Amino acid sequence: MLAIDVEKLQKSFRVQKNREGLGGALKDLLRREYTEVEAVKQISFQIPQGEICGYIGENGAGKSTTIKMLTGILVPTSGKVEVGGYVPFKEREKFVKNIGVVFGQRSQLWWDIGVIESFHLLRKVYRVPENDFRKRLDELVERLQLGELLNRPVRKLSLGQRMRCELVASLLHNPAILFLDEPTIGLDILVKTEIRDFLMGLNKEYGTTILLTTHDLQDIEALCSRVIMLDDGSIIYDGSLEKLKSNWSKGREIQFQFAHPVKKEQMDSWTEGLNVQWRPENDLTAKMWLPHSVNVSEALSRVVGAAEIRDIKIFETNTDEIVREIYQSEKVSS
Amino acid sequence: MIYLQLFWEYFKNYAKTRLTYRADFWIEVLSDLLFQGMNLIFILVVFQHTQSLGGWSQAEVVFVYGYFMIPYGIFTTFFNLWNFSERYIVKGEMDRVLTRPAHNLAQIVLENMDPPSLIGSLVGAVIMAISGAQLGLSFDFTDFLMMILLVLGSVLVYAGIYIAITAIGFYSDSPTGIAPLMYNIQNYGRYPVGIYNKVIRFVLTWIIPFAFVGVYPASFFLNMDSGHNSPLALLTPVVGLVFVTAALLFWNHGVKRYRGAGS
Amino acid sequence: MNNAYLDIIRIRFLTMLAYRVNYYSGIVIYAINIGAYYFLWQAIYGDQPTLGGFTVAQMTTYVAVSWMSRAFYFNNLDREIANEIRDGSVAIQFIRPYSYLLVKMMQGLGEGLFRLLLFMVPGMVVVCLIFPVTLPTSPQTWLIYFVMLVFSFLINTQINMLTGLFAFYVENNEGMMRMKRVMVDLFSGVIIPVSFFPGWLEAIMKWLPFQAITYLPSSVFTGRTEGGMALQVLGLQVLWFAVLLLPILWIWRKARHRLFVQGG
Repeated sequence: MLAIDVEKLQKSFRVQKNREGLGGALKDLLRREYTEVEAVKQISFQIPQGEICGYIGENGAGKSTTIKMLTGILVPTSGKVEVGGYVPFKEREKFVKNIGVVFGQRSQLWWDIGVIESFHLLRKVYRVPENDFRKRLDELVERLQLGELLNRPVRKLSLGQRMRCELVASLLHNPAILFLDEPTIGLDILVKTEIRDFLMGLNKEYGTTILLTTHDLQDIEALCSRVIMLDDGSIIYDGSLEKLKSNWSKGREIQFQFAHPVKKEQMDSWTEGLNVQWRPENDLTAKMWLPHSVNVSEALSRVVGAAEIRDIKIFETNTDEIVREIYQSEKVSS
Repeated sequence: MIYLQLFWEYFKNYAKTRLTYRADFWIEVLSDLLFQGMNLIFILVVFQHTQSLGGWSQAEVVFVYGYFMIPYGIFTTFFNLWNFSERYIVKGEMDRVLTRPAHNLAQIVLENMDPPSLIGSLVGAVIMAISGAQLGLSFDFTDFLMMILLVLGSVLVYAGIYIAITAIGFYSDSPTGIAPLMYNIQNYGRYPVGIYNKVIRFVLTWIIPFAFVGVYPASFFLNMDSGHNSPLALLTPVVGLVFVTAALLFWNHGVKRYRGAGS
Repeated sequence: MNNAYLDIIRIRFLTMLAYRVNYYSGIVIYAINIGAYYFLWQAIYGDQPTLGGFTVAQMTTYVAVSWMSRAFYFNNLDREIANEIRDGSVAIQFIRPYSYLLVKMMQGLGEGLFRLLLFMVPGMVVVCLIFPVTLPTSPQTWLIYFVMLVFSFLINTQINMLTGLFAFYVENNEGMMRMKRVMVDLFSGVIIPVSFFPGWLEAIMKWLPFQAITYLPSSVFTGRTEGGMALQVLGLQVLWFAVLLLPILWIWRKARHRLFVQGG
């Protein structure tokens, strides 16, 4: 069954223009001018239940607008959208009981009082029975190690602690689908890992479908089996992360540290016939770049056979670079 | 029913928040009362120089003033949305509200409630009692029931007008200055409307019916021989219902528009 | 004067222009206030010719000019300053090559000028058409009035700054700001001329700066204070302006010191 089904979804906004200078301002006082902006252009995608999908794109690409349409906040201009069997913008109150939403930069917790008070309030809002609530809360608290934080006011929490609490707040009613908008923004690496592990576990155990937007591609690498990439309101890539990598990354780099100084000509002679390039960094270290077409073990064995080696490092092109590359080529082609 | 439970939950959270900043609490209550007291001072100072205001005695004007404070206090308890546009539209908290399974206006009202305003109502009741005693007004059980009915009507009038004005935030995110405008106008509803000219009287009765939060309903309790009883007093609950219904329609339309345009 | 300050006035002026509904509703607010108080005072006078030393005609003019001048001197600098202190952005202002307080004052002036030109002038024309307002005939009175209006702005702004700067000392000065607003509206004479207060209160008012904001200049405008007296009253405004500078500069210097010592 599909958790999210989107077809030819479109959203356009009317944006007000400000004319320049005093004269322009006086004219605006009398009559406004508007321009039409298409934030999301005819996008289509389907997400089956239990999938974790990454939704990425630069600022202003239309990510937030899509999420807002999927969570029932915005009404689409045209197209079809169905989430968990509901059309989000109709029957809003029934629909939202089925989803959880975390906006990374905005808190849904009371600022001045203990976190637990906010949880109690949310229990009432979502009408969760006391027993279910207790069980659920205990489990979440244990998993995210919130124990002693529960009675602290939100303003006294660190960003990482707060984000963990936000997650609990969005999951108290056991939603089938979870939307996360920049859930790891501004967090340190340790907390990020913790949150990723938690989400992974949640998905495995409860089959919760998760759609997350992020700027941190490590989130994607750690969590998502699938990536949807957005640029200027249109989907430019939709598929697995592996495919993305193999399609777009052109190769990898291996760094060698030699026991004795080596000349560039020597290196070239070792790998003759293979389509690789050497780039010496100093007398003792050099980097070899090899495309995917070249077998790594063959290239390695040739070098190892010819020279005494102290250390080897392999660099995979990282997702950041790939994404940057896609955007650039996309801009060029369009 | 569910909203009554929610009210209680929100109230508990409000109380807990407030207990963390105790000093501010009293300063705010005090400055609130002073703010309203300014108008009482105006009345008292003016009556040092004259015997009547358009035929109304000091005790009568103060009596109306006391009534005015009661629905106002109840209304501000539940309706503290002066920064709605900035907080919910510009900063986007409306999005969070819309992802929760309860009516959006109910959530917003509950999130912002300000129970200390009820102290103002209490003070108003005391002022009413004192000036009522000066006027020798009798107050029986029916009067008491009428009081509840009229105050409810007045609260609805307030709610109608201010819900409509707050909903403007959905249509324009720049400051409109209309809420302070209303705040100014409402003050004129507590003086005898007879002193104004026809146009203003008409506006205060039918267009922006602030005469129904003060002078009309309060006149119901004045002595018959004062000649100030307004036949319109009994219309207060009706006007309240009409305005609040219209306002809710306008609000819902605004929410629809917000979800259509977003930000 | 430094060009940057002129630019600040210009920008604030343009910002005000950008909010058109705010502009129109502002005009309506002032029209309604003047109208309502006009009728209120008519009813208060009944058939008594003078009250508190004002004739009915003088009172009408007084109400109109007082509300119009309020449009010029009114600003929310107290709230703006308090907010910037509370969210810490004031610390950045210390490292900028200008005087923070002067910048704030210029912003207030930009707002005031906007209302003076696009609000007061057309507003006064409309008010004169509807209500029996008598304008002063002597150019001298006009001149003195406008100089006094500038000082109204300065003194009101100073009071706002003092209230706003208190945010350095107390965590939440919301209550203070509200009380200040009540005091300024009540004691400056916009709502009731100071001469209407009971004797003891009027005596206290003589020793406070509030009357310098509305009561004194409006009295000159209505012709109740004339000739040499008018100049004397202007002198009183100048004196208050100078006196109020002291606590502001003192608080500002102390706050600056504290910020540097504690590092924000």
